[in-house]
Amino acid sequence: MSNLVSFLVVFPLLVGVPLAFVTRGKVRNALVVAGGAVIALASLATAIAFGNGSAVFFGLPGDLEPGLAVVAAEAAIALVVIVVSLQHGRRLAPVLATAQLAIAVWLEVTGRMPAADPARLFGFDRLSMVMVLIVGIIGTLICIHALGYMRDYQRTYPQTGGRRQAFFPLLFLFLSSMFGLVTANHLPLLLVFWEVTTLCSFLLIGYTRTGETIGYAFRALNMNLFGGLGFSLAIVLLAAQPDGLDLARLTAGPAGAALLPAIALLALAGLTKSAQLPFSSWLLGAMYAPSPTSALLHSSTMVKAGVFLLLRLSPAMAGSAVGNLVAFTGLLTFLFVSFVATTEQNTKMVLAYSTIGSLGLIVGSAGVGGAELAWVAVMLIIFHAVAKSLLFLVVGTLENRLYTKDMEHFDALLSRMPRLSVLALAGIAGMFIAPFGIVLAKWSAIRAFLEVPGWQGAAFVVILAFGSALTIFYWGKLLIKVLSTQAVDAYHRSVEDRVTGFEWFAELSHAVLVVILAASLGLLSESIVGPYARGLFPGGTGALLHLDPAVVSFMVLAVLFLPALALWSWRKSAYDVNDFYASGRTTNGEHAIAAALGGTRAVTLRNYYLVGVVNGEAVFRAGIVVCGALLTGMIVAGVVLRA
Amino acid sequence: MNPILLAPLFLLVAPLFGGLLTGVDRVISARMQGRVGPPVLQPFYDLGKLLQKDVRPVNPIVEPLLLGHVVFMALSGAMIVGGVDLLFTAFVFALAALLLVLAAGSVNSPYSFTGAERELIVLLASEPFFILMLAAVSKVTGESTFAGVLASPERVAPILPGIVLAFLLVATIKLRKSPFDISTSHHPHQELVRGLTSDMSGRLIGWVELAHWYESALLALFVLLLVNWSPPLALGAFLVVYFLEILVDNSTSRAKWQLVLQSTWAVTLVLAGGNVLALFLLRS
Amino acid sequence: MSFFSRSPWILHYDGSSCNGCDIEVLACLTPLYDVERFGIVNTGNPKHADILLVTGSVNERNIDIIQNLYRQMPDPKVVVAVGACACSGGIFARAYNVQGGIDKVVPVDVYVPGCAARPESIIDGVVQGIAALEQKRAKVA
Ligand code: SF4
Repeated sequence: MSNLVSFLVVFPLLVGVPLAFVTRGKVRNALVVAGGAVIALASLATAIAFGNGSAVFFGLPGDLEPGLAVVAAEAAIALVVIVVSLQHGRRLAPVLATAQLAIAVWLEVTGRMPAADPARLFGFDRLSMVMVLIVGIIGTLICIHALGYMRDYQRTYPQTGGRRQAFFPLLFLFLSSMFGLVTANHLPLLLVFWEVTTLCSFLLIGYTRTGETIGYAFRALNMNLFGGLGFSLAIVLLAAQPDGLDLARLTAGPAGAALLPAIALLALAGLTKSAQLPFSSWLLGAMYAPSPTSALLHSSTMVKAGVFLLLRLSPAMAGSAVGNLVAFTGLLTFLFVSFVATTEQNTKMVLAYSTIGSLGLIVGSAGVGGAELAWVAVMLIIFHAVAKSLLFLVVGTLENRLYTKDMEHFDALLSRMPRLSVLALAGIAGMFIAPFGIVLAKWSAIRAFLEVPGWQGAAFVVILAFGSALTIFYWGKLLIKVLSTQAVDAYHRSVEDRVTGFEWFAELSHAVLVVILAASLGLLSESIVGPYARGLFPGGTGALLHLDPAVVSFMVLAVLFLPALALWSWRKSAYDVNDFYASGRTTNGEHAIAAALGGTRAVTLRNYYLVGVVNGEAVFRAGIVVCGALLTGMIVAGVVLRA
Repeated sequence: MNPILLAPLFLLVAPLFGGLLTGVDRVISARMQGRVGPPVLQPFYDLGKLLQKDVRPVNPIVEPLLLGHVVFMALSGAMIVGGVDLLFTAFVFALAALLLVLAAGSVNSPYSFTGAERELIVLLASEPFFILMLAAVSKVTGESTFAGVLASPERVAPILPGIVLAFLLVATIKLRKSPFDISTSHHPHQELVRGLTSDMSGRLIGWVELAHWYESALLALFVLLLVNWSPPLALGAFLVVYFLEILVDNSTSRAKWQLVLQSTWAVTLVLAGGNVLALFLLRS
Repeated sequence: MSFFSRSPWILHYDGSSCNGCDIEVLACLTPLYDVERFGIVNTGNPKHADILLVTGSVNERNIDIIQNLYRQMPDPKVVVAVGACACSGGIFARAYNVQGGIDKVVPVDVYVPGCAARPESIIDGVVQGIAALEQKRAKVA
């Protein structure tokens, strides 16, 4: 185990370093594909070696001690932050980074940092297994997709040409740190990996180095460093507690009052990383990064690190004021951003809001706690990772082909790009159609909230009821655009042929994964997620999936039957997409209507954005205020309860 | 009776029920306007004719989507009586409704598209209520299946007055009665040339009609969940509700979608949400 | 007898007319005549309709509209021309822009005379249209 995890952490770096010097496209392609394949296989091997049993703990190979290496790593991170920030004349980030470094040094110098148990530096349980598989497989697929995507991206943004070298090394550095993050058990070690992911995210958001993206990159950096500072403070508090820095022992059961402030600070770090309100704006800015970045960091893995930590904390905070406030923050975030998403026209932004919302559901489940909700959280992590990553990749490809991210320009996508549309449909279906995992998780969450006593339970149920309806609305609008049909000339139909093989491979694999995961939901629940949830909150019995898995499989089949039917009817029937009713006026091939006084008028159809009913910006601001107040309350509650 | 046997029974009986209901509705509406109206079996004649007519779909995906609409609408009812978790069926129901929206949206013509968007508004307006209602029913009875709720000694409606009131409003929309700029009722008073079905012909309209019958039967099942102690009383209550809806429809023929969205959400939040809140405070 | 005779859905189009026949058609929907008794529905959409009921004559500008509406109706379908204008051009036949009756542009199955045509004869025309519809269906099937 120890060797395998070390391999997962080290190997991506070994691939990344030579990539920084490769300039020939063919060599880069070969390196990324081969390296990715090895990483994916290694993550599978790790999962198999783990054998899906109870948690195991281990240290570095040869029982090495981390010792000063942790401080050295933090110093390196701080140095990079300070140098880059000062280059751009930014002040806040260096202050935050220096503060963190100062804390680490102070702990070490004054001898307050207790020695780590060399045999418990890392831990591996079912949740780690799930995360390792997501990072290993989805991560690899996204890297492969990026090979095709970045080639076209460079054409659109030629000014980034000189920095191409850095892109793939950063992706692999990120994979390495992510593997470390999900397996670390010693909190200071976890913090190092945590900050490396922050750094990767920062550098990737600012990839094009235009004034706009640099601003967003620093926003992301500041907010995440702020969360990291919370993490550091938590370590200070925990260093004084016996076994405080051992994550598994710390979160073995409900935290006592003495530990609550530290738990609250760790939760704060988790909330910033998973972009919950009031910190959501960094993830919105992060959408200016190239799409593979959005898929890898900002939907399927890095933001999941935040909810991963919160889920780890779940047994410790469940039932306490901290847990309740975390739950409200998450669920209200879900409600607020779903509202905002209905008014958003930029597809990538809709995906971002939906990501924040889904993360909010996970945060809410982790905050409330209990086996059922732990089950919900892990299910959401898995299904969201695959479906949302797929959507980001498809939108990325579309963006390169159509030069737009505007939902309204995806008109008649099914006619123009049938194959990409089918992939997009798979992703959207995975996000909100009935038998797929996310909806099942949402439903199970409502069921579980019914058991929560008092007004909180009622509030949770009401929030979920309205939030779900909003989700249906904004996905429905996107679906209408994708599914609309129109006559398309040969030139526009040929656009799809220019999508690269790398992109097809990655997206198709994702789509297949979406379907396979949905169909094997019962198995997944019984063998991995269920046992994990039961282990996290022992005591309950009975199935966590309140549905016959056969019903789920049947519904998946029924849903898959529709595209099959469509394909069949496509071959067979005689139809004329221009022959629509226009009050008797004739219509023609350009989707235009004969005008009364001669000539034609083009038909332009625009979705509803609830203008005049919902003001997106005001809702977002309200969300920041409300959730900000909740978080302040959370920290205060932690401190007050301790006193 | 074995719930697994009830599911096929529902599949057979529901269209008869829904069709008859529509027939009676048309007669009563006519009487309210001082007319005689069509025969009670008229909806079945219409369906029979529609299935015999030639079809010219505007695109190849309309019909598969509509078939999905019918199948999932029927399935959500069959799932309820067949013993699948009640709350889960709310999501199947939503999927069914969505498929109709997509079928109309796929046509990409001015009337159909606008109809689809407005139907999506209807979905947005009504979905929270159905989730809340089914959640509240489960909470009151402590049961999560249809048979369980019917067998429960707990009487649901008296404990959920807010939900019952909100149901009246939401049913108006779901039965396609009001508002006039959304509904696809048979009355000539609605705009958009029926929007949703503007570009559908022959059996395609037949599918929409059939799904609507299943939907009516589904709403009747919901009433049965609320009036869980006496099925005959539930049927009576449903018919009274339906009569009220016809009355509302014939007297408020100019309500528009903005009003409907806002008012439905307000009613759902205040009445249904308040009811759920009271329930949680008193019951736990 | 098939379902067609029990459920004829009508699309009403008004060409160049004095609106007299137009109003008589609407009168058929009122409580006095109430054609819904026979399952007749005024649809307003060619894709839903079985019977195209035209009042008024054909002029330069509505030729393609009438043809388009007729074309968009799914088979089987019939056309009923109501009133003198629709049958032959009526009193407007000589007008500079009028082409004549609607049989100039689409095949007409039933002619209902009158200026204006009375609701009774309009209903009678529709009933004859239904018979024609039945015949056409038999041919299609
Ligand atoms: S036939 Fe006579 S009543 Fe009818 S439209 Fe022509 S002029 Fe008017």
